[in-house]
Amino acid sequence: MSQQSINAPGPGEDEPVGEDAATGGQTFASAQAADDLLDEIDEVLESNAESFVRSFVQKGGQ
Amino acid sequence: MRRRVGGLETEYGLVCVRSDGTRALEPEQAARELFRPVVAMGRSSNVFLRNAARLYLDVGSHPEYASAECDDWWDLVAQDRAGDRIFADLAAQANRRLAEDGQDARIHLFKNNVDSEGNAFGSHENYLVDRRGQFTRLPQYLLPFLITRQIVTGAGGVVGPRQGEDGRAEGPGRFVFSRRSDHMWEAVSSATTRTRPIINTRDEPHGDPSRYRRLHVIVGDSTLSEVSTHLRFATTDLVLRVIESGRTLPELTLHDDIAAIRAVARDLSGSDPLPLSAGGTTTALEIQQRWHELATTVAEEHEHEVLESWQKALDAVRTGDRSWAATHLDWAIKERLFSQVVQRHGIGLDDPAVQRLELAYHDIDPAHSIFQTLQRRGLAPQVLTEERIEAARTVAPATTRAHLRGQVVTAAQEHGVDHVVDWTTLRLTRPGAMPVQVLDPFATSLPEVDSLLAEIRAIDVTGTSEAAPPA
Repeated sequence: MSQQSINAPGPGEDEPVGEDAATGGQTFASAQAADDLLDEIDEVLESNAESFVRSFVQKGGQ
Repeated sequence: MRRRVGGLETEYGLVCVRSDGTRALEPEQAARELFRPVVAMGRSSNVFLRNAARLYLDVGSHPEYASAECDDWWDLVAQDRAGDRIFADLAAQANRRLAEDGQDARIHLFKNNVDSEGNAFGSHENYLVDRRGQFTRLPQYLLPFLITRQIVTGAGGVVGPRQGEDGRAEGPGRFVFSRRSDHMWEAVSSATTRTRPIINTRDEPHGDPSRYRRLHVIVGDSTLSEVSTHLRFATTDLVLRVIESGRTLPELTLHDDIAAIRAVARDLSGSDPLPLSAGGTTTALEIQQRWHELATTVAEEHEHEVLESWQKALDAVRTGDRSWAATHLDWAIKERLFSQVVQRHGIGLDDPAVQRLELAYHDIDPAHSIFQTLQRRGLAPQVLTEERIEAARTVAPATTRAHLRGQVVTAAQEHGVDHVVDWTTLRLTRPGAMPVQVLDPFATSLPEVDSLLAEIRAIDVTGTSEAAPPA
């Protein structure tokens, strides 16, 4: 994998558009796995992200 | 020191929200709810557990778990993970009580280091060091290592947009190795909350003060990856041994420690020049690589894996090839995850969804933990076996003083005998009871402790124990 900057997300090599037979089934499977993961994450995050984040305010510790 | 005792203090973030995400309970109330079973058991919100760790409520309503003394860094990781599970269980119990009570309220605990307004809390590492000899020259050599190790063991995260010290906005959110660096204000001092230093000099050895000091490192991030947590301790221990060996060391003192730690956090290439106090410049990668080389001269056979992982981490920064790091180190796991989510939803790194994602990464509830989701999919490391982590919840490390404390707490609880213990002292709370002092952190057996254990069995108030001798 080449340098991957989070500030400038380009097309990541681990997430190809899939159909390219030359890259074989494994990359397709990994793109599929990444999608599944992101679906699962979206479920956990639900829809109240902003108010949830705002609620988490505590005094500092050490 | 060839054998060194270390421990990890973890402060957790706490929030109690309704199902719409708004705040249900203030942190003080939520903490009280969380600690209800602890207070019922120990009549205090500050107790030592069977695994010899300390569980308490710290400044700012932060639940804290201080691991027992360990002299093996995988033991330490196991003890630390056990602490997560103990608090996750307490949170689950509290949430059940709140639900039964008909309240729309759910407590979340985060193993992270900063809340949504930038209030910080810690992950404090303790290392036993010899009082004689090297302590005075220790910070000078250790600081450049501690300032730059975030490129290996940082938890990653997003900073900004915010006002800089000069009042100018610092631009859009950006990914950094560690957010903790923005909460460091001094290199070395005795403060912990007001002007947080990298190394805290409070002199509480928790051992024979004529022989030992405790090195208190408070610059670290709470790490979820077992590999990251292990590397934090294993590499720092190696560096301490190099310094203690008395050999000539490279002069890598930085011109401005605090400016450097913030610059290193933001430079994902690890290659930006850092001014040295003696003139000239170095880089985060150079400093880490130098210490890695020196560490190879003191590392023992069983530590080669540590050197290998450390090198892989440095290579990931140097080459930009994250294939190993993105499934092993917290900062790189997060970097990949955030970039995927940002891309999928077409949002910026400073979007509340990313902040929520980061909290979920650090959430210790198995049902809400994104880190554990990644673990299940093989995208985050799982080094320790389930059995070892579960055992660490009730069994103290066997090779340090913690073994003695663990035996006493376990026996006292089983036999219903009131007791008070701390890091060095074991005592029954009865008139005339004599405290037993254990000042050697490496002690694993002591006649006085054997007598104390016999006394506990003799007192037994449960009336059920087979261990109780016939009257």
